Amino acid sequence: MIRFLLRRLGHGLFVLFVVSTVTFAIMSAAPGGPSLLADPKLSVAERAAIESRLGIDQPVTVQYTRWLGRAVRGDLGASFLYQTSSLSTIGSRLPQTLLLAGTALLLTIGIGIPLGMSAAARPGSRLDRIVTSSSGIALAVPAFWLGMILILVFAVWARLLPAGGAVTEGVSLGLLDRLRHLILPALVLAAAGCAEVVRYTRSAALTTLALPFVQALRARGISPARVLWRHGLRHALVSVVSVIGLQLPRLVGGAAITETVFSWPGMGRLGVEAALGRDYPLVMAVTLVVSAGVVVASIMADLAQMLLDPRIRTA
Amino acid sequence: MCMSLSLLLGCTRAPAGGDDTLRLPLINDPIFNPVIAPDIGSVMVNKVLFPGLVRPDEQLRPVPDLAVSWQAAADGMSWTFVLRPNVTWHDGAPFSARDVKFTFDQILDLASGSRLRSDFSAVDGVDIVDSLTVRFRLKAPFAPLLPLLGYNAGILPEHILKGRKLTDAVAFNRTTPVGTGPFRIERVVPGASVTLVRNASYFGAAPGVARMVFKVVPDINAQVAQLRAGELDLITIEPANLGSVEGVAGVRVLQVPVVQHWYVGFNASTPMFSSPIVRRALGFAVNRQAIAAGVLKGYADLPGGTIPVALRDFYDSAAAPVPYAPDSARRLLASAGWNPGPDGTLKNAKGEPFAFELLVDKGNPTREQSALAVQQDLGKIGVRATIRTMEFAALVRDRVLPATYAAVLIWWTTPPDPDQYAFYVTGQDNNHVKWSNRTADSLLSLGRATQDPIQRRAIYTAFQRLERDDPPVLVLFYPREIQAASTRLEGIPALGIRDALRHSERFRFARQDTIR
Repeated sequence: MIRFLLRRLGHGLFVLFVVSTVTFAIMSAAPGGPSLLADPKLSVAERAAIESRLGIDQPVTVQYTRWLGRAVRGDLGASFLYQTSSLSTIGSRLPQTLLLAGTALLLTIGIGIPLGMSAAARPGSRLDRIVTSSSGIALAVPAFWLGMILILVFAVWARLLPAGGAVTEGVSLGLLDRLRHLILPALVLAAAGCAEVVRYTRSAALTTLALPFVQALRARGISPARVLWRHGLRHALVSVVSVIGLQLPRLVGGAAITETVFSWPGMGRLGVEAALGRDYPLVMAVTLVVSAGVVVASIMADLAQMLLDPRIRTA
Repeated sequence: MCMSLSLLLGCTRAPAGGDDTLRLPLINDPIFNPVIAPDIGSVMVNKVLFPGLVRPDEQLRPVPDLAVSWQAAADGMSWTFVLRPNVTWHDGAPFSARDVKFTFDQILDLASGSRLRSDFSAVDGVDIVDSLTVRFRLKAPFAPLLPLLGYNAGILPEHILKGRKLTDAVAFNRTTPVGTGPFRIERVVPGASVTLVRNASYFGAAPGVARMVFKVVPDINAQVAQLRAGELDLITIEPANLGSVEGVAGVRVLQVPVVQHWYVGFNASTPMFSSPIVRRALGFAVNRQAIAAGVLKGYADLPGGTIPVALRDFYDSAAAPVPYAPDSARRLLASAGWNPGPDGTLKNAKGEPFAFELLVDKGNPTREQSALAVQQDLGKIGVRATIRTMEFAALVRDRVLPATYAAVLIWWTTPPDPDQYAFYVTGQDNNHVKWSNRTADSLLSLGRATQDPIQRRAIYTAFQRLERDDPPVLVLFYPREIQAASTRLEGIPALGIRDALRHSERFRFARQDTIR
């Protein structure tokens, strides 16, 4: 177990190193350069002063070595756009992303698994058909479109929920206010992942229910509900857990669109902003934090699978 | 569960921020420092926090702000400003001539991170005459000084920022700015909002609202939705968004001419575009009226030259806008050696086709559609333009600045002054189109050195007439800024949003009982 963890962590560090090198290379090769310099009105002298202040007048290899040297000591540099240290800039946004992603994950699991199981219980039934087709729609609809539609319906027309932001700005209205702001973006963020979980759960449960041990359970007269929700669920979860593990990076790193549509002050949007502004230090920091999150999430998914399936533990 | 949900949804029309809070959008977190701030969002907030010596009135003429009066020396080589007495910074410290000198020392010093130095390159230095009087020493007479002082040059507090680089004052720049404006900082939530609160000791009229909240809403469709949901009070929109705000209860649409000219720049250092006749011909070939009506939905003025109609005192209103005259275009191009080949494409004596790449930045529907219209119009006279869209930063840095382009659709936003020396004088840093006309060089040099308004007007009229024969760029239109505002909001100055924010104390809300 310990050896497994150490090995996975070692892999993880190697992955982070490769990701950082590749990101730095791609970023430096991308056209344009830092948006701080994109003002056509700057004079040649102003431009040169900015380039030397940011250190981007140096060759890329020098820039990368400098960055790496500082990074191993935990200093990811100051953001070009924000001037503050990249890590503290991320730190100010990460809690919002975790809140949104966490809520979306709860929704994904809380809605996806029961729906998938119920659909699998009676394949071909009306419930099954509704669940399957609506999960197809949820997968197909782009997040920005779903977000705008929900905003139009619930915020603009019905005026039931706020159109954007994480709280009502300028005043403090407490927990209820936070919750009201959370509903729509969490739903949008959860939609596609939830649909995926529904489908995986359904097919995993169907496979499980066809296995001989289920026949045996039924033959022993155990109630269908108990077979489904106790034995079937546990068996199906093994593969569903890995799908959920795959949701985590999407929830944390890929929330950019949802965060933009709902003006949610999270890290996904920060990452997009950094990439568009060619804010080299911030892009690197966001990439590293997200990659580290993915590494940790996949280790956690593996651990969860080991707990659920004794056969993997020994492997 | 059901009950808690209804509770959740029920108490919804909570006055978002109360009736006394003005809510405006930003697209990113601002840097609270007018000297080093790089982006439009920062510019907006800084106009509220940091007044300058003057500010533009609704005719875009400079009127007193932190300075109460001024006088240019007879030779135009220096300007003396008398500052407003009894002004205090947001932290209570007194404002004085030292702050003005400090600010301009920073502006002129590139090591400070200054992005305003080229605006004030004519300034040699600022001297303190007494605690409420400063003198600007100039290298040469410089008429745009006043408009520029009212543009981005907000005054910074010496007592807080002295002794280190402006870019290193991170706390000040990100969370705790101190200015002299009608609102002071209350709270900054990264990525979400900047809340300003009424400055009780503001030197001007008492602010009409208690708070200003700048909400970070990066997506323009989301801004429109929030305006309609009553969560924003004033936004600026693109013509493409008009359909979502027109006729919506509680929203009204305003328009203001702004000091911009949008144009197709032809690289005059290339053989294809070096001839003034060719550039003039292309100008006749584009149907600007159709672009203004179709793409800008009428929210634009038709152009003569590069000085926009918003500069009422200088715009050459005696001349009609450049006409749409494709036949004249064909004739002129033929006289320049471009004749139609068998497929209709114009060819020169060597048989080379008149074909080039037209660059436009990606993602702005107004510019992309304008580029398409230009392409089609030019196609009708046998000129083949291929559109290439690029990210704005890449377009500017990789193509426009090194002048490795043939044609680009872009725009200039300028201070409220006709001085276009930096853009159109031979060899200037910002003359990206590589235009060179000796008469224009001397007119533009004379124009920025001439103080007398009547003489100055005559100079810029001559410049605009010259542009008819030798157009530096193909001006497409002068856009009007489209503002969508809550009908409850009053006191909106008839100015572009940035200049309007120089008068932020004037915004106020209609009393609830007076609206129907």
